[in-house]
Amino acid sequence: MSIQPATTVDFFLGGLEAFMRRSGQGTHWGVTVLRLEGRPDAQILTQGWKQIHAMHPMLGARLKRQWRGWRWVWETAGPIAAPPICWHAAQPLPPDAAVIQERLQGRSSTGELSTPLWMEVFPWGADGGHVILLSWRHALLDGTGINLLLEKLAAGGCASGPPLLTAPPSETPAQLYKRARPLMNRLQAMTTAGCLSAWMKGMPIGGRPEYRLIELSHEESGKAVARLRALCGDFMQMPFYAAVAARALRLLHERREWSSPEIHLHLPMQLRGRSRELIFGNHMGAMPLFLDAGELSTLEQTVAHLLEKYREAMKEGMPQASEALTKLAAHFPLSTFIPMVRWTNMGQICSLFHSHTGAFLPGRTEFAGAAVQNVFTIPSVCAPPGLGIFVSDYAGQITVTLAWRGDGVSQAEIEAMAQRIRTDLTGIAEQ
Amino acid sequence: MMQALSDGMPEVPISPAAVIELLTAEHILEPQEPLTPDTDLFSMGLDSMAMMQLLLLIEERFRLTINPVEMTRERFATAIALAGFLEEKRRQAA
Repeated sequence: MSIQPATTVDFFLGGLEAFMRRSGQGTHWGVTVLRLEGRPDAQILTQGWKQIHAMHPMLGARLKRQWRGWRWVWETAGPIAAPPICWHAAQPLPPDAAVIQERLQGRSSTGELSTPLWMEVFPWGADGGHVILLSWRHALLDGTGINLLLEKLAAGGCASGPPLLTAPPSETPAQLYKRARPLMNRLQAMTTAGCLSAWMKGMPIGGRPEYRLIELSHEESGKAVARLRALCGDFMQMPFYAAVAARALRLLHERREWSSPEIHLHLPMQLRGRSRELIFGNHMGAMPLFLDAGELSTLEQTVAHLLEKYREAMKEGMPQASEALTKLAAHFPLSTFIPMVRWTNMGQICSLFHSHTGAFLPGRTEFAGAAVQNVFTIPSVCAPPGLGIFVSDYAGQITVTLAWRGDGVSQAEIEAMAQRIRTDLTGIAEQ
Repeated sequence: MMQALSDGMPEVPISPAAVIELLTAEHILEPQEPLTPDTDLFSMGLDSMAMMQLLLLIEERFRLTINPVEMTRERFATAIALAGFLEEKRRQAA
């Protein structure tokens, strides 16, 4: 047995999954879709797949409480065998939404997925097209981890395992409380204001994971990137996409005639010091931002407002406060974490989940010998918040995933949000 | 020579070495090997949060306000490029 320190994000995602299980929403899965223009080389793929499993015992890890220090750790029992890559028979069409929805519920065509990482290859059509589906447990790896994993697989494997991690210095509850105080004050103010997500008390919890893809053409993607640079420069992709997501949620609130004076975003942020060798174990922390609903009238106004709030939050030490508050919560049982968050936030977790984790497979045009057409991720979300908006980028091609559950969001609402997102990204209003 | 600003505080000189000191002392970047004036900063992991942190530190230390739109890859590519951009900003502000 060996022990790896867990991060506060691992605890957050562990708590989220515990909440999902208890509320009948299953386990927390994500699916990454690789569309290839030819047949991937089975030998390269299998070799990389086996090496990654041999080098990363984290694939068999269990998040548990360590008695000494009362810390959350990953316990691993040594290398695990790679599950077989599932090659399906050729079909006239690529895998449809029903297949992806099944994976988002942790199931394959033959039963429950028994490992946290599962790969399938779907040959389709007369032109040699192939789709690879990677299904992954979000409690163990996030979008950044998937990005790193794809790079390793594309390179044909990995020659070494992850570096040894050291546990962060421990702090007393009093020290943590002092650091967490700015966020606690902000959360209390937010509770008074009444932030809403896509879910409200009285609406059903659970239902099948649903999703809608918004695939921008190369021309539209070019317009989106130009708009991003004009508003946010070359580095602030996440604030730009978060502004687009916040405006989509605001539209949903307006359509429902809901009053939410603020939108509570968790802006994902890379944890400092995380190694690029560290595929498994989550990389992203959360920066809490509270946007005034009245400041979201145009994308330009929203971006300016979000950047100002971002600057304020950095000055107030919100990233450190968020980490400290999660560390404080980690003293309690995993199953109580999200209920405590919801109690603080009047039934909400946050206003929506969203992310953009950088470009997939940077600089690569091939994957296991086959030309890549597009790569994007479809995570499942729980209710609350009931809506996730995720942005994937491959070679400058932008794909947006809207994810929700059951009947929590209507088709008309999805259409309206999809149109708003496309218009915000490209600057072109649909006719 | 160090000049005094209107609030009486001395103006901190801008140089590639001062930029490297800012990036490493404040843990914006945590490189495994020492940064040099022409190290590619982008490949060291400058993400949006690191950039916002850097922007605030530049404001605090060099007394310069930078709009995110001004944050281009060329200007933030290396410590030399960034120092050059900041010196130009200071000249314009004078």
